[in-house]
Amino acid sequence: MADRVPQSSGLSALRGRISFIDLVQSLGLMAIILLGGLIMTAMSPVFATVRNIENVLQSATIIAVVAIGQTFVILVAGIDLSVASVLVLSSVLAVGLVQFQGLSPEIAIILALCAGLGIGLVNGLAVTKLRIPPLIATLATMTIGRGMAYIYSGGTNIAPVPRIFIDLQASRFLGVPGVIVLTLVLAALAQIVLSRTQFGRSVYATGGNPLAARLAGIKTERVIIAAFMISGLMSAIAGLLITARFEAGAATAAQGLELAVIAAVVIGGVSLFGGEGNIGSMLLGVLLLGLVQNAVNLLNVPPNWDSVVSGLVIAAAAALDVYRRSYLEAGMRKKIIAKAARSTPKTS
Amino acid sequence: MSVAEVISVAEDLRPVLIAKGITKSFPGVLALDNVDFNVRAGEVTALLGENGAGKSTLIKMMAGFYAPDRGEITVDGVVLSPDPSSAHRVGVATIHQDAHLVPAMSAAENIMLGRWPTRYGWLNKRLQKERAARALARVAPHLNPSTPAGRLSSADQQLVEIARAISEDSKVLIMDEPTTSLSPPEIDRLFNVVEDLKSKGMSIVFVSHWLEEVFRIADRVTVLRDGRLIGTRPISELDHDKVIRMMVGREVRDTILTKRPVGDVVLKVSKLTRENVLENISFEVRAGEIVGMSGLVGAGRSELAAAIFGIDPYDSGSVEIGGIAVSPNDPKAAIEAGVGLVPEDRRQQALVGLMSVKSNITLSLLDRISSFGFLSMAKEQAIADREIRALAVKTPSSKTRVSTLSGGNQQKVVLARWLARKPKLLILDEPTKGIDVGAKSEISELILRLAEGGMAILLISSELPEILTLTDRVLVMRSGRISASLPKEQATAETIMSFATTG
Repeated sequence: MADRVPQSSGLSALRGRISFIDLVQSLGLMAIILLGGLIMTAMSPVFATVRNIENVLQSATIIAVVAIGQTFVILVAGIDLSVASVLVLSSVLAVGLVQFQGLSPEIAIILALCAGLGIGLVNGLAVTKLRIPPLIATLATMTIGRGMAYIYSGGTNIAPVPRIFIDLQASRFLGVPGVIVLTLVLAALAQIVLSRTQFGRSVYATGGNPLAARLAGIKTERVIIAAFMISGLMSAIAGLLITARFEAGAATAAQGLELAVIAAVVIGGVSLFGGEGNIGSMLLGVLLLGLVQNAVNLLNVPPNWDSVVSGLVIAAAAALDVYRRSYLEAGMRKKIIAKAARSTPKTS
Repeated sequence: MSVAEVISVAEDLRPVLIAKGITKSFPGVLALDNVDFNVRAGEVTALLGENGAGKSTLIKMMAGFYAPDRGEITVDGVVLSPDPSSAHRVGVATIHQDAHLVPAMSAAENIMLGRWPTRYGWLNKRLQKERAARALARVAPHLNPSTPAGRLSSADQQLVEIARAISEDSKVLIMDEPTTSLSPPEIDRLFNVVEDLKSKGMSIVFVSHWLEEVFRIADRVTVLRDGRLIGTRPISELDHDKVIRMMVGREVRDTILTKRPVGDVVLKVSKLTRENVLENISFEVRAGEIVGMSGLVGAGRSELAAAIFGIDPYDSGSVEIGGIAVSPNDPKAAIEAGVGLVPEDRRQQALVGLMSVKSNITLSLLDRISSFGFLSMAKEQAIADREIRALAVKTPSSKTRVSTLSGGNQQKVVLARWLARKPKLLILDEPTKGIDVGAKSEISELILRLAEGGMAILLISSELPEILTLTDRVLVMRSGRISASLPKEQATAETIMSFATTG
């Protein structure tokens, strides 16, 4: 089709810009974050201090680690509501197994992580083998998990925590708090797994089109189970972080955290339909949410209003994102027409 | 011819719908470029073009789904605004490829969908039935208005949609590939309805990949190519070759058959049975052989392919690839044994639309391009580039999202995925369905070339010309059984159809 060549080559440069949208997605979030930061700096003298920024990042680490796992699940078109319950279960186990059962802290931590993996496995099996919708399956394990944490801890926080948690919280790596470094390392690992491994590619394919993935020889059920197990493991790791931060086996912490995590992941550009998104921009979503929380605190918003404010910001960020995308596409469309009008003489 | 007659003819042919200077682009694609199109009263205008030529975009615009970037569409002088309800108001009705009915509602309710007659705010069932029955009587007197739409055959569902258009007093009826899922007698019935509507002054826009149908029913032909208008001509000035030349801008070479040497048995299916679906199916396909699989829709051909490929389980029987039995219900095992499947519905079953052309090509090759679970980006790129070149996939880049490609090029991506694995057996299920003429002949040639290279090919197709020109042997299926195995010499359209319907 020789007569098509000039046109398609004329368009190829423009088509290449579509991936540009993905870049601008991240840039857009970054712009919102920077703008918010500037406004906060003007409004609050405390905001732009090292101490405050470090505090924002530290509290973001817990949501970030859970969100890394949640991203795997949402990428395979699932959802995991049990993350907060896994987190508290891991936290009370890591402390309680030392205090009540007399295990060594290391063993306790390993068992806490195994509990996370185990609940993830149960979620995965329920979704794939029993074909229970992820929302329902993980709603069940969410309720069960929180209940087990209460039963084990007696419904209160367990303290004191083993020395290893104090050290973790106090640790610094090249001047940066250790928990932040740990979070970044986990994020980097997750991004490498997603973009560079057979498993990661299978995650995107399974979420994008499960039937096509299966027909291409991907064991989609295993991929889904693995995604839930990663989510369980990450939530359990976040449970260790929260233990270090609160210096307690925190049975009552992280109420409603699962929704904050899902919000952050979606703001960060991971599609709830599956198959689309990456860890990098997802982390920006976490950061944005963390800043909002910080702003609410610094600006002395009345306590009952803070969740309203957070909700409004989530809605605004999402709406802005949708608007920006369609604006970009419209702009590109105009350019294409203009270019075509210049380059192609009318044929008929 | 008297003056009065001249005037009446001239009046009859006044344009009802006029689309003027229509331009529309989507991100990265100029779908329509300053296209003029009109539809005249009491005429069937065929809208033709390869996939990606802009037909669908133009149809969606006339149905009010898209707004043109430039230009406007008027129906009897009224400007159509971009809103489906506006299209209905000015009198444009669209029959889509697959019926858009509410399955749980009756035919009558569907005909009156959204316009249910009411009395004092309450639904008036009697009046609804009456009006629906009046419309239905014109196109499908055999249908009971109270049957739920979901229980009707797809042909009857289509007739219900046409009845809906009639009950709305539509002036223009757009039919987007209406015959795709119809049997020949159903097509005849549909065409009788179209003739009847035409004689009563309705204008019809007819879109089809089947030129035979176009020549049977159309009065005028409008051809689009690459989003531009190539021309509008009365059907009397055209023939097959001229239309194809307008569509593709070049001659399409008919494929030539050469005799190929046939090797060892690659696929051996023995007594394959699945309750109510497949019954005692046995056959073989040898290396270098192209075996055609013919039959009506629903005869069990795709189900057989699914069983061989391990998508669906089966009750008894066995499938051997190159002498090794493959376990049921495990596509990965079939793939590793050397089978490739190009499924019927590439968007649902083969492609991950969000992924790039490259990732889609290598989706079945992840094991080959990775070591210790890590993908080799260089290897992946090399394989993708090689296959894109080998199959002449038209894509701006290997990183383009596969969903932006035309149907023919998407199909080439699916083919590339399997060819890169060099399978022993390739199962092709309707490989040229919904694909434009140019890509169709490219894919036909490719199938022949693969067989010459020693690949065993099982070609499932509803297109008899494709079966007749490409295959060495034809298996005909009917209600889950193989009703005939015809050597090339005995395979004719007549014998195949008779075994498919009565064998």
